[in-house]
Amino acid sequence: MSRLLKFNIFRYNPQDEASVPHMDEFVLEETDAMTLFIALNRIREEQDASLQFDFCCRAGICGACGMVINGRPGLACHTKTRDLPGEITLLPLPVFKLVGDLSVDTGTWFREMYNKTESWIHTNKVFDENALEERMDNDVAESIYELDRCIECGCCVSACGTARIREDFMGAVALNRIGRFLIDPRDQRTERDYYEIIGNDMGIFGCMGLLACEDVCPKHLPLQNQLGFLRRKMGITAIKTLFKG
Amino acid sequence: MSIDSGVLPGKSSRLDGLLDWMQMLSGAGLILFMWAHMLLVASVIVSPDWMNAIAHFFEATGMAQVGGPLIFLLFLTHFFLAARKLPFRLEGQKTIWSHAKMMRHGDTWLWIVQAVSAMIILLMGSIHMWVVLTDLPITAAKSAARIQGGFWFVFYMILLPLTELHVGIGFYRIGVKWGFITDDRRGMFKKRENFLTLAFIVIGFAALLRFMFLSIAQ
Repeated sequence: MSRLLKFNIFRYNPQDEASVPHMDEFVLEETDAMTLFIALNRIREEQDASLQFDFCCRAGICGACGMVINGRPGLACHTKTRDLPGEITLLPLPVFKLVGDLSVDTGTWFREMYNKTESWIHTNKVFDENALEERMDNDVAESIYELDRCIECGCCVSACGTARIREDFMGAVALNRIGRFLIDPRDQRTERDYYEIIGNDMGIFGCMGLLACEDVCPKHLPLQNQLGFLRRKMGITAIKTLFKG
Repeated sequence: MSIDSGVLPGKSSRLDGLLDWMQMLSGAGLILFMWAHMLLVASVIVSPDWMNAIAHFFEATGMAQVGGPLIFLLFLTHFFLAARKLPFRLEGQKTIWSHAKMMRHGDTWLWIVQAVSAMIILLMGSIHMWVVLTDLPITAAKSAARIQGGFWFVFYMILLPLTELHVGIGFYRIGVKWGFITDDRRGMFKKRENFLTLAFIVIGFAALLRFMFLSIAQ
C-alpha cells in the first residue's frame, strides 16, 4: 500500500478580486518514482483544474518550476515525493511577482538583471563571419561553462535573506553572472567597469553571507566560492581606486 | 514601489567597498580582542595572582587606560558599520523572521542570532566596559566582590554566551563571505568553530565560578 500524500498548496489569483490568499489541501496516492511535477499535474487533472503552476522541460533545465517545497526553494520536477514526508507544503517563490497560486513571473526580474549586469560580451572587435572562431583555453572554457549552467530558476534569490529585506539586492544569480564575464577573456570590461555594477551594497557588498543560495541551488553552482571570489576581487578594486583616485 | 534607478544620477560606490572592508576589519579586530580578553581573564582559574599580575602589567604600561576606550570606540564603530545591514523597520524584521522560519536553514538562523545578540551586546557590553574602566585598577578581589553580589553573576551569565556566539558566528561569516573558507571546507570549519565557541563559553563560565568562590580576604 503506497502512502497517501497530503498537499497544502498556496492559492491566490491576483486577477480575481474575490480571491483571498489561502491554503488548499489535496490528498493523492503516491506512485512509483513520483516527482512533484507528476503530483501537481495529477492534482490539476483529477481534482482542481484551476490550479496554477509552471512547467516546461520537466528535467531541471528550464528553471520554470521553482517553488518553495516544505520551506525550501527548489525545482518541483527535480524533487521526488519519496524524499519528502507525507505532508508537503508548496508555496510560490517569494521576491518574484505572483502570477497565481504557485506560478511566479521570474522573467521580468531576470530581464532587469540582464540590463543591470549588461549580460553580454563587451568587445570592440568587429565580428568577421569568415574568420575561424577564436580559440579558448579548455580550462577557461570549462570554468565559464561551470557558471553558465545557471538555469535562472530564481531559487537562490528566493532563499536569500538579504534579497528578502532589500528589494534592490542583485542576488547570487546576478553576481554569478558578472563572475562569468569576469573570467571570459573575450569580454573587454575592466575590473573597474565591473565594480561600477556590483561594487556596492546592491551588489557584492550587500551580501551578508547567509549562504542559503549555495544550499538551495538545484544545479549546485559554486555560489559560495563565487561570492567570496567577487568580494575579494571587488574589495581589492575599491582599495586600488582609493590610491589611483 | 521602486523606481528605475537607471534614470537617477549614478551612485558613488567606492565608499561601499571601503565600508565593507572596515566592517570586516573592525569585526576581526574585536574577535582577536575577545579571544585575548577571555584567556587573560581566565588566568584567574589558574591563580588570582596571575590575573593581578597581568592586570597590573596592562595598567602600568597604560594599555588599559588608553586601550580600553579605544576598544570601546572600535566596538561602536563596528556596530555603526554592521548596523547598515540590519532591518531596523518592523516590516523588515517581520520579513526576515518569517523567512528564517520558512527556510529552517542553519546559517540563516545564525544570522538572526548574530543580529539579536548584537543589540544586547551593544547595551550590556557598554555597561561592562563602563563599570570596569571607571574602576581601575582591575584586581581579582574586586572582580570577585562584584560577581559574589549576585547581580553581576547573572549579568555575565547572559553577556558571556551571547558574546561568544556573536564572536564565533562572526568569525565563520568572515571566512565564508570573503572566500577564505571554500565550499569543501565549510562544514569542517563550522564544526571547529562551534567547538571553539563552546570551549570559550566553558572557560568563561569556569572563570565566573572561580570569582564566585574566591575568598576575597586575600
